[in-house]
Amino acid sequence: MFKTIPFIVSLKSALRFTLFIFLFSPCLAKAQSISKEYQAKSTFLFNFSKFVTWPPSAFEGLESPFIIGIVGEDPFGGYLDEIIAGQKVADHPVITKRYKSAADIDDCHILFINHHDSILVKEVLELTKSRKILTVSETKNFTSMGGMIAFHTAEDIIRLDINAAAAKEADLVISSKLLRLAEIENQ
Amino acid sequence: MKLKGITIRQRLMRVIFWTSATVLTLTCIGYFTYEYLSFKQNTIKHLETLGKMTAANSTAALAFENKKDAREILNTLKADNHIVAACLYDKSGHLFSTYPDSVPAQNFPRLPGTDGYRLSNWHLNGFQPVSEGNTRLGTLYLSSNMDVMYAHLQLYAVIICLIILIAYLLAYLLSRRLQETILKPVFSLAEASKIVSAHGDYSTRAKKYVDDELGSLTDAFNNMLQRIEMQNEEIKSFNLSLEKKVRERTNELEIANNVLKEQKEFVETIINSSVDTIAVFNVNLQYVTVNKQAERIYKISKEEIIGKHVLDLFPSIKISGMYTDLLKALHGQPVHQPKYKSIVLNRYFENFYIPLKDVKEYVYGVLTIGHDITDIIEANEKLQIVNNELVKSNLELEQFAYIASHDLQEPLRKIQVFSELTENNIHNPEEGKKYISKINSSAKNMGDLIKAVLNYSQLSRSELEFVPVNLNNVVEDVKTELELIISEKGALISCDTLPTLPGIPFQLNQLFLNLISNSLKFSEKKPLINISQRIINGHELNNILQGTGGSPVQLDAKRKYMELIFKDNGIGFDQQYTKQVFTIFKRLHGKREYPGTGIGLAVVKKIVDNHDGFINVKSQPGDGAIFHIYLPTE
Repeated sequence: MFKTIPFIVSLKSALRFTLFIFLFSPCLAKAQSISKEYQAKSTFLFNFSKFVTWPPSAFEGLESPFIIGIVGEDPFGGYLDEIIAGQKVADHPVITKRYKSAADIDDCHILFINHHDSILVKEVLELTKSRKILTVSETKNFTSMGGMIAFHTAEDIIRLDINAAAAKEADLVISSKLLRLAEIENQ
Repeated sequence: MKLKGITIRQRLMRVIFWTSATVLTLTCIGYFTYEYLSFKQNTIKHLETLGKMTAANSTAALAFENKKDAREILNTLKADNHIVAACLYDKSGHLFSTYPDSVPAQNFPRLPGTDGYRLSNWHLNGFQPVSEGNTRLGTLYLSSNMDVMYAHLQLYAVIICLIILIAYLLAYLLSRRLQETILKPVFSLAEASKIVSAHGDYSTRAKKYVDDELGSLTDAFNNMLQRIEMQNEEIKSFNLSLEKKVRERTNELEIANNVLKEQKEFVETIINSSVDTIAVFNVNLQYVTVNKQAERIYKISKEEIIGKHVLDLFPSIKISGMYTDLLKALHGQPVHQPKYKSIVLNRYFENFYIPLKDVKEYVYGVLTIGHDITDIIEANEKLQIVNNELVKSNLELEQFAYIASHDLQEPLRKIQVFSELTENNIHNPEEGKKYISKINSSAKNMGDLIKAVLNYSQLSRSELEFVPVNLNNVVEDVKTELELIISEKGALISCDTLPTLPGIPFQLNQLFLNLISNSLKFSEKKPLINISQRIINGHELNNILQGTGGSPVQLDAKRKYMELIFKDNGIGFDQQYTKQVFTIFKRLHGKREYPGTGIGLAVVKKIVDNHDGFINVKSQPGDGAIFHIYLPTE
């Protein structure tokens, strides 16, 4: 995954190369700056779509996209977009949306709530309740607040906490495969 | 597989064995292969199923990088104790989780291979894609051992072997049983055939077991034997009757033969005792048989000449005419040859040539009978000679009688006349004397004549033997006897030295006497008589005589003759009288001219004839005569 930098002899090429590095470094930096953790999380985020079943009413039509929304700061960089590029969920094309505030949240299917403030989180949760949105966050006690899936990193391992009841309330069915992996919290 | 020298039983066994073996082996191989393939198929299916299930279960673990869960799921594979190894690769192909723990990570394939299962290293390995929805989340690797299958197949092999063994055993037993049904009839036939061929026992029969082709073969065989047996009996009885007939016929033949033999012997005896020569020829003129007489006189043996051609033995019969007669007879014409001179034997035969004909009148041979008539011929010839002599004699007698009567008549007439005259002139004694002296002289003449005739007639020869006579002495005697006349006439007689010849001395004397006296008598002038001689042989004499028309008979060329040449200078006579001068009483001149009886030369001729000689004379009137007298010198 890491590009190996070839050994350059001439100064000119070295100069050219450093230029190249600088031009592209933002991207690289950007890509690199997204840590493995968040890479994995973006993967997970997308993968949730596989293990959760949305009711048909969650989609307007067959052509309507599957939306992964992020409210709060986007921690994934372009990585999530990379992942979802060209992918489909139940024949719905996948797109990402970023919401500035909770009020902006429209019909998305997975919502990643990146608020550290629990009040904000709760707010979002209130708004998205019974709107058939899978709420995901890495905030502490997310699930006890009523969030559906929480990322829980411990010792370099990303654990999942799932609030099955909350999901059930939103008319979402979480596959037992996913449930199995997680520490279930029923509320 | 060597087919020679093994029994039918073994052959059948082998056939059955190989048939069963082939069938069983093929079946087992087929079954075995089927089992193997289906086993493999099943195992793969099983593995696939397992793989799919495991993969389905591990999607979440892979999606959410939950190694714990992944391991748990892999561990469920423990349930299948043939899964020796399994592992999960994430979507980048990195090894994510392995099972079992005992297998180190490097034993697993580094990268996931192509999806699907394949057999390698006696294990069934494969890669199963792990996907949720249409997203590939990773790959599942499964490795299963084939122990089950191999165990199964081993079991199969064992079972198959057992089955094969049992099957062979059964096949063997069965075939033994079944063979009997085939072999027993065959053996029965073979046995029966052996008995028939070894002992000639046609009463044997083969046992029939089943009513199939072998059964019908057995029936046919038995029928054949029966028929042969019957025919044999027939032949035997026929043979017996034949033998009986043969015996009878043989007996008959023997008897007939004996009769024939006796007849043959009888006939042979007859033929062989014949004094005639009997010979039988076949159509090729080869000798078939000759009788004893033929053997004897031709000095040949029957065995030598039988089968030989007649000309091979007696080529001269072509000249003598017998060959011609034989050919005539061969053409069916019987020939009778009354006089046949055999050149071979120098004998005469009366020959009969009789053609032998068969019932169809074809000539199959010639029977010749030769009857020796030599003696008869000789006797005939002798008779002929005697006859001739008799004829000659008769002739002479006739001549003699004629001339005698004629010549005697004259003096007798004279006597009569003068007697009559005397009678008439009895009174004239002087006349009477004249007449009586005339009578006397006539009587004397008659007496001389009769004496000469008697003399001539006595000149026979048959009883007189020839003795060597010295002619010189004879001539001297004659000269002495005629000395008076010789000296009277002044004759000169010259004579060569003459040889000694066989002859009758008296007659030879008479010969010379008559010749010389004749010459002396019939001469005008002084008689000159020359006697010379030479010796010639028969051949020369033949030529001389033929020239003069003398002897009718061929003289023996080798016989020597003395030619006496008696030359005188008398009055001679005409050549036309050369024969007549030797005729008795033939006188060429009157009595008054030359006295004599006219007998002289006839006497000479008779004497010459007596001595088997010849005489001829050449003369001319007034020129004397030359007498050639030929006398044999031995």
